[in-house]
Amino acid sequence: MIVENSLFTDKVALVTGSSRGIGKAVALAFAKAGADVLVNHSKPEGTSKTKAEGVCRQIEELGRKSVAVAADIGSKASVGEMMEAVYGWRGRLDFLVLSAARAPFKPIEKLLEREMKQLVETNYMGNIFCIQKALPLLEASGGKIVFISSLGSRFYNPSYPLGSMKAAMETLVRDCAQSFAQRGVQVNAVCGGIVRTDSFKTLRQYMDDLENIPDELCVSPEALADVVVFLCSPLARGICGQTIVVDNGLSNSLYRPAWAKKPKL
Amino acid sequence: MKQNLIAEQRVMEEVKKAIAEGIDIDPGRIKPESSLMKDLGAESLDFLDINYRLEQTFGIKMARRTVIDHIEELFGEESAIDSDGKLTGKAVDVLAMRYDGYGDKIHAGMDMDELPVLVTVSSLAEGVESLLDTLPEKCSCGAQEWKLEDETRIVCGACSEPASFTSGDELIEEWLKQVQEDKKIF
Repeated sequence: MIVENSLFTDKVALVTGSSRGIGKAVALAFAKAGADVLVNHSKPEGTSKTKAEGVCRQIEELGRKSVAVAADIGSKASVGEMMEAVYGWRGRLDFLVLSAARAPFKPIEKLLEREMKQLVETNYMGNIFCIQKALPLLEASGGKIVFISSLGSRFYNPSYPLGSMKAAMETLVRDCAQSFAQRGVQVNAVCGGIVRTDSFKTLRQYMDDLENIPDELCVSPEALADVVVFLCSPLARGICGQTIVVDNGLSNSLYRPAWAKKPKL
Repeated sequence: MKQNLIAEQRVMEEVKKAIAEGIDIDPGRIKPESSLMKDLGAESLDFLDINYRLEQTFGIKMARRTVIDHIEELFGEESAIDSDGKLTGKAVDVLAMRYDGYGDKIHAGMDMDELPVLVTVSSLAEGVESLLDTLPEKCSCGAQEWKLEDETRIVCGACSEPASFTSGDELIEEWLKQVQEDKKIF
């Protein structure tokens, strides 16, 4: 980490879905850069709560303030309560990072109606609820919004309907970036490649040989998190409505001798 | 065929280990009757992680989809869960047949979100055992002698190829088709 630990002093970040995975790495990266962090997790009980509290402790050990906020972002009412908690905590919000996601791993032709509804509610509507409710606070602070996308937005993955939602969100990021720019709110996205998080553990059950992808073509959650911090820093002031791909070159590697298996003859 | 190379107790130990590592809790807290969600605090992502660990341990393929998912795939949408997200009477009948002790815990009109709570450590171990019991009589090489490798992997005694078990999804689907043929529920 090259960023100075005073970069975001007195600033407040809300990271949705930050009890684990990429969200957790982003929450910690903000703390290292000096920000206080609200750690959002989905359920008021269970491992999501325990893990979120663990992230808060790690942030406090870095000398920053942190609080866990339970909210299912797919529920407008729940997001409203979360934003009240955000306002009540420090009275401000500088950075909103949209990292929460939830989706079935299924081929499109097998998706049930309720699964499609949940897919859209959490991964599209939920993000819009967060943006809508956070906008007044972000306007007041000249804040930033960063959405966490994935290569599923532009490349085929088996059993990964979330990819279509990521594509929708990348478009939405462009729209919001333009319409919020005049209000002083900057919007961008970071598109991650293969990241070895808890979700990866799930993905490897649906994508044969995923584990054969060599480490050098995977990207760490921390590498993604650093780009999120960059996009929220003054260094990125000229970037508006863009999706920055952070994948260690995976999407450019058409030729993959290291893990391409010989077909069985 | 019913395999006898891995004892029930060993399966239970491995299931407990997978849960302890998957959700990072003290193995001493895990009892056979513990509900993974209610008592041990597991979430949906954790289930997949635990399943993955069990697959690696035993060389099996756990079901990717639930019995409910399979019912709707075979017999149509809303055959198991109605438009309000509630369990149908037909789904209750099937689940009660599938899982011992479910009869008094489930009822028509119950919210589908309450179902994962019913998954216990022993129901998971039974799931693993049912997959191990699909061990074929013979290996594809023709040999009829299985042996244990690394304590939890069944391999062919002749060619050393890992045993090929029926997958969890195939097993549920076969069972459902049989139930439908016998009882004409849907």
